This record gives sequence, C-alpha cells and structure tokens, in this order.
Amino acid sequence: MYLYIYDSFLNHKRYANLLAKIETRVTDLGIGGKIFRLSPLRNVAELLRDETKGGVKTIIVVGNDKTFSHIINFAAAYDVTVGVIPIGPDNTIAQMLGVSSPEEAYGVIAARKIERVDLGKANDTYFLSGITIEQGDVTIECENKFRVRPQMQDQVGIYNLKPATAGVGGGIFNPKDGLLELFIQPFQSSRWMFRKQPASSSSLIPFRKVAIRSKNSVSIHTDGQKVLKTPVTIEIVPDKLKVIVGKDRIF
Amino acid sequence: MFKQEHNRTDEVATIIGPSVQVDGNFVANGDIIVEGSISGSIKTEKNLQVGAQAKIFANISAANAVIAGEIQGSLKIKDNLELTSTAKIFGDVKTQTISIESGAVLHGRCQVGDVKKSKMEKIDDRHAKLKDEKDGPLETPLVS
Repeated sequence: MYLYIYDSFLNHKRYANLLAKIETRVTDLGIGGKIFRLSPLRNVAELLRDETKGGVKTIIVVGNDKTFSHIINFAAAYDVTVGVIPIGPDNTIAQMLGVSSPEEAYGVIAARKIERVDLGKANDTYFLSGITIEQGDVTIECENKFRVRPQMQDQVGIYNLKPATAGVGGGIFNPKDGLLELFIQPFQSSRWMFRKQPASSSSLIPFRKVAIRSKNSVSIHTDGQKVLKTPVTIEIVPDKLKVIVGKDRIF
Repeated sequence: MFKQEHNRTDEVATIIGPSVQVDGNFVANGDIIVEGSISGSIKTEKNLQVGAQAKIFANISAANAVIAGEIQGSLKIKDNLELTSTAKIFGDVKTQTISIESGAVLHGRCQVGDVKKSKMEKIDDRHAKLKDEKDGPLETPLVS
C-alpha cells in the first residue's frame, strides 16, 4: 500500500498539470495510493503513525531534497520503504538514488528495487546526504580518541553520500559501509573556486561517531536544510532506512 | 605500495590534508596519507605515507611506510620502511627492511630485520628455564 506525500510548494497552480499526470501514470502502473499534502498545520508524525497502523508499507515523497529530508526523519521510526518523485531543481538526493526525473521515477517505483542504507544522526535529526558546518573555530572529536582542528576558513562537511564538491572516488562515500566521512577542503578564493583541488590537499577521515564543538556557536545544516547549533554529536545509524533506487544510483 | 596520485583516493581510507591538525591517538583501519600535522600516536594495520610538508610528533605503528616529511617519535614498521631524500626522522626505528634515499636524516637507533640473541643472552635464558623447572610449581600442603 502506497502513501504519496506532496510538498506544500506543489499547491501552486503551475504544478497542477504535472501532478495530474503523475496521478494518472501511477494509477496506470498499479502503484497508486493515498495522497497527503504537506502544510504547516498538518502533523506528519501523526499521519505516519496512523497510516503505518493502517497498512502503508511504502511512502513516496513528491518534491525535492528538503521534502525528502523532512520525511525521512519521521519515516525512519517505522518499517516502511521510501521512494521519491523529484520535482524542481533541488533534487541531488534523488539523483544519487538513481532517479533524475518524474518520468524515470515511475519506472523505478514500479520496479521496486530496494536498498537498505545508513542514515547519519546529528543530535536527534536524521540525514541521508550529509551535513555542512559553517566556517568557524571548530574542533571535531572523533571516536573519543583524537581531535581534528581545521583552519577557520576551511569547508568542513560530514557526508554519507558523495558531495558534489568532492573530486574523489565515489566508492569512499558509501551509504552502506556503516561509516560517515569527515571531508575538509581548504579555503579557495573566489577567483580559483572552479579549479579542482588536488586530492591530497583535502582531508578525508571515516568515522562512526564524532562530537563537534566550538568556542562560539556555529551553525550546522543537515542535508542543506535544518539548522543546528554546536555542540552537536553526529553518529552513523547503519541500515536504518529502506529506499527505492534506480539503476543509475551512485552507490 | 601506493597507487599513483590521480587515483590514490579511490584506494585510501584516510587522508590528513595540509590545512588540518590532529591531536590524540589516531587509529585507522586502512591506509593513511598525512600531509598535515599530527601529535600523539598513529596506528594502522596497513600503509602509511607521510608527505614532504607533513610534521608528525607521534609514535607510529604501521605495516609499511613511505616517509618524506618530518617525524619526531619512534617508528615501528612491520614490513618495509622507505625514507625519501626529504625525510627527517628524530626517533628510534624498528623495521623488517629499510631503504634510505640520499639526503634523508635519521637521528635515533635503527633496528632492521629479525633480532638474533647473543650467545650470553641464550645462556641466561637457558639458566632461567632450568631454574623454573627445578623450583617446580608452588604446592599448597594438605592439612590433615
């Protein structure tokens, strides 16, 4: 049984035709289901609790990275499979899962290839892709064994999936290896920002648990969306989420 | 031992870049490349590469190592240690095999290969063993 969750931005009339097309197509393929439209007044936690009790086993997120990140924080608590129909430009997570367009998503959902993936957990917030840390004087304590101190201007991130800025092999960022990767790139002036850094100038440290501390409060963005403030504890939760993936996934 | 620069990161588990400073007991399961600064200790079951600009103030334990930077601390390498012309080691070295390029600096005791005991040490060991056998295990007397 499928539950389709539409993001609130899809209420705009310019998406009406696209949504009608999606609903027709999923019905034709026999993968139709209940539709829920997100809004600030509707409680997703209650919805998922009720629907999973009612027999929903698959949740299809219709929207972008922000929608997907929001939903997995609730879906991770249940034995459900999550798929995505990407709409709009901000859909890097869907692309990494092997779904680059709504047209491609129908086939992927119907084929129903499921992978169990790790999730990162920053305090109480789950993330699939990664987190970015704002520039600041931060110290990262890894596994309670050693401390890593990047330069103030370095770009510091923790990733489960391969970040777009990484010029390194995709195999390192594997959401099925039970590890997260601390990835630190040295500061580049805007003049040289499009020049690819040599691999040895970046730092890459795999880990299971870290604590991020700073003298002054520093913002941390999970999956580019939710903002947390230091201190933050980040850990890997292995095999936490079942996702529907396409053949062009990056892992 | 290490792949070429362009595909190195596909094979390597941990990289410490030049902008990063690490303090503490640094333990990794895979290969390690150090281009930055580390204080404390470094331990890996696999390979270690230390770049020319790297500065390490730590005791090191690894299977193989290629050193081009500066190390202040002891090195315990299971198999092969390679010191390039820019390497500076201030500490004791223990390894199975070693190659040292012209220009490398090594200040410390260097132990290469298996260590064979001297004749006197062997005699001492034999005496100690005989004494143990003669003394026998400690027995608790039975109380009637």
